[in-house]
Amino acid sequence: MPADVVTAAPPLRAQRSPTTLVLARTARRAVRSGALWGYVLGIVVASSAVSYTRIYKTQADRDHLAAAFGSNRAAAALFGPAPQLNTVAGFTVFKSLMTLMVLGAVWGLLTSTRLLRGEEDAGRWELFLAGQTTRRRATAQALGGLAAGVTTLWAVTAVISVLSGQYSQVDIAAGSMVYFSVAQVAAAVMFLAVGALTSQLAGNRRRAASSAGWFLGFCYAVRMVADAGIGVHWLIWLSPLGWVEQLRPLTAPQPLALVPIAVFSAGVAFLALHLAAFRDTGSGLLADHDRAPARLWLLTGPLGLAIRLVRPAAVAWALALAATGLVLGLIANAGGTISGSSVQTVFSRWGVPGTGATAFLGVTFLIAAVLVGFIAAGQVTAAREEEAEGRLEHLLVRPVSRASWLAGRAAVAIAVLLICSLVAGVTTWLGTTAAGIGANLGSLIGAALNVAAPALCIWGFGTLAFGLWPRAASYVVYGILAWALLVELIGGIGAGSRWLLDTSLFHQMASAPAVAPNWTTNGIIIGIGAVCAAGGLLAFESRDIQGA
Amino acid sequence: MGQVAVHCEGLSKRYGPVDALSQLNLDVAEGEVLGYLGPNGAGKTTTIRLLLGLVRPTAGRAEIFGLDCQHQTVEAHRRLAYVPGEANLWPSLTGAETLHVLGRAQGWVDEAYRDELVRLFELDSAKKVRAYSKGNRQKVTLIAALMCRPPLLVLDEPTSGLDPLMEQAFRHCIGEAKKRGQTVFLSSHILSEVESLCDRVAILRHGRLVETGTLADMRHLSALTVEATFDGAVPDLSRVAGVSSVHANGRVVRCQVSGPVQPLLKVLADYPVTELLSREPSLEELFLALYGDQAVKEPVAG
Repeated sequence: MPADVVTAAPPLRAQRSPTTLVLARTARRAVRSGALWGYVLGIVVASSAVSYTRIYKTQADRDHLAAAFGSNRAAAALFGPAPQLNTVAGFTVFKSLMTLMVLGAVWGLLTSTRLLRGEEDAGRWELFLAGQTTRRRATAQALGGLAAGVTTLWAVTAVISVLSGQYSQVDIAAGSMVYFSVAQVAAAVMFLAVGALTSQLAGNRRRAASSAGWFLGFCYAVRMVADAGIGVHWLIWLSPLGWVEQLRPLTAPQPLALVPIAVFSAGVAFLALHLAAFRDTGSGLLADHDRAPARLWLLTGPLGLAIRLVRPAAVAWALALAATGLVLGLIANAGGTISGSSVQTVFSRWGVPGTGATAFLGVTFLIAAVLVGFIAAGQVTAAREEEAEGRLEHLLVRPVSRASWLAGRAAVAIAVLLICSLVAGVTTWLGTTAAGIGANLGSLIGAALNVAAPALCIWGFGTLAFGLWPRAASYVVYGILAWALLVELIGGIGAGSRWLLDTSLFHQMASAPAVAPNWTTNGIIIGIGAVCAAGGLLAFESRDIQGA
Repeated sequence: MGQVAVHCEGLSKRYGPVDALSQLNLDVAEGEVLGYLGPNGAGKTTTIRLLLGLVRPTAGRAEIFGLDCQHQTVEAHRRLAYVPGEANLWPSLTGAETLHVLGRAQGWVDEAYRDELVRLFELDSAKKVRAYSKGNRQKVTLIAALMCRPPLLVLDEPTSGLDPLMEQAFRHCIGEAKKRGQTVFLSSHILSEVESLCDRVAILRHGRLVETGTLADMRHLSALTVEATFDGAVPDLSRVAGVSSVHANGRVVRCQVSGPVQPLLKVLADYPVTELLSREPSLEELFLALYGDQAVKEPVAG
């Protein structure tokens, strides 16, 4: 090449260093997600602490609560031990730690598999690997980015927790809240590492996430058995979630339990880093089961295909609701023994008269309602994904009308909602029967169908959004769900105007089985959902098919 | 032209301020293979999505075998099959399951031909879609379209990701489809593919149809390439009527001739020409002549 050509070339503009490109990119996304989830974790802690001071105002109420749940085996298995339930600190840990631990772990495994394996599946990882880096270095950078994300998660959680601790009636020292925040995100750290490891082992992101999810389930089950009071508490040291529990924040701190957490996280992350160098891009170290005999019995058309596609998630939700129903049934008796005027006041805010096991179920069936609401939102999101990913077009370019496709999805969604609701009702009855309460099966079936009503309405709103603004459908449907839940929680602590409370779909739902379901109201709620869904169908018929 | 398989009348699509397709008037006869060409963003895929009823036109209308694409969509779709450029399929299904469900959705499958296509394209149909390469996913969509033997095939970059052997197999299948009287609407960037398969070509630019006709028609519109080798002095051909782009390399002169070649032959007759070659422009040259520098300089729509 002539020299003048070389000198005539424009100078190369300095770009971000190739040695930190993956780090910066991963960190940016992980920090954003960590900040959001940190806010959620912090709010849960704050609301638990503040709601305790509002609900259990007198020491007598608190002592009643401690007597009812302090030594309840089912409650301990579900939420962990409850050593100081008659204090704000003890209740806050009991109410929030296990939930936040699991939420943090889910965030960790989803974030790491998305930012490690998801990027690879999308083909973006190859672009980096074709540059000035190696697979191991790129993985190290990604792990660094994830570390930035989890640090943000901890920082945001800690700030909100410390601030809530300053509330005069809560009054928990800042140092204790910072330590509590460490416990809250410890599971997130460990499962970030687990997700990084399964990203090296599994053939794709979905499998990496599900493998890490199964491991989380195993850890939770081991911890449940250990806490069930059947003489095998030593098992707690075999579960990473048990190590977090052993940190005992706010009650009897045991920082030594940080050692296995740190060793496990570092060891698993190092193993992931080591294995990263030994596999091909786009595949995992474990053999893939990517061949299978054709199973055609459901694949008779768009409806059968929808059933086939929805089935794995539906089964997982049914199992989750079965477990929820069973546990609610088992602890209903203990829950029902809580008495006191302030407890009755709180129950009455949720439309539940008196106390007792049935009243307790009337209040706690809100959990089932929320879960079924999530199923509804998931169904809307799944339909939108079919469109956004371009898979829907394969059906719509054949003699399949948009209306028949959406109607099929609707039929599947409604069936899943009803079946999962019924599963919750039946397993609650099994739980109460096992606990010797002997609740009426018919009333629990009615309560189960009762929680399906708001979910059907949420699904209807989501379908309307899908028809009108497909790219915003997920935000709309999850937004409605989050709003309904938030307003219901506000209502529970006695805040919020009646007008505000009426905007929550859950607030319209009768607190069955404590009271009989209001089928007229349910009919109206479902009718609104049906009208919205019909509007969504009309809009879908007349709009463009839109990609992501 | 026989019965019309595809009819577009003033078909337009606007996305915000951008005219992705503007006033398209186009007919494709039954049994014809039409090559639909244009640079990226010219409006080819938009046209196909309008024909399939996936997007709504801003103006105009389109028909498939006389059926309105927007209002008789399902009926129209009974008569066509479509291959997209991006084969996004259900990752958890195997190739065989995907072909089965797509066949059931279509309503009619020639199972013997499907099996023949699976062999021809060497598709491992027991594999799950998530394990397929891009080329293999494309094979699934091709087989799914061809196995139904529809009267109309709408193909949008159908060979993207296929290796040359599979591309040959594809050309073979389209050739057979043509013999059977199927109509093919082929959007492609592979000009040799269009040149070898298509009866007629339509060229889009910035959402507007700029040229349509057979390759022979279009060649007449473009310049002839002439190359002359001299045994002695080389004449100056740049002032000869109809001659342009003159390039001399030693005793060899190459130029383009538009219109009659008579003026050039008269000049050459006075010089010692040892070799004279002429050839018609290829589709690639036609394409580049139509787009040339402007295709690079001008922004493209939609």
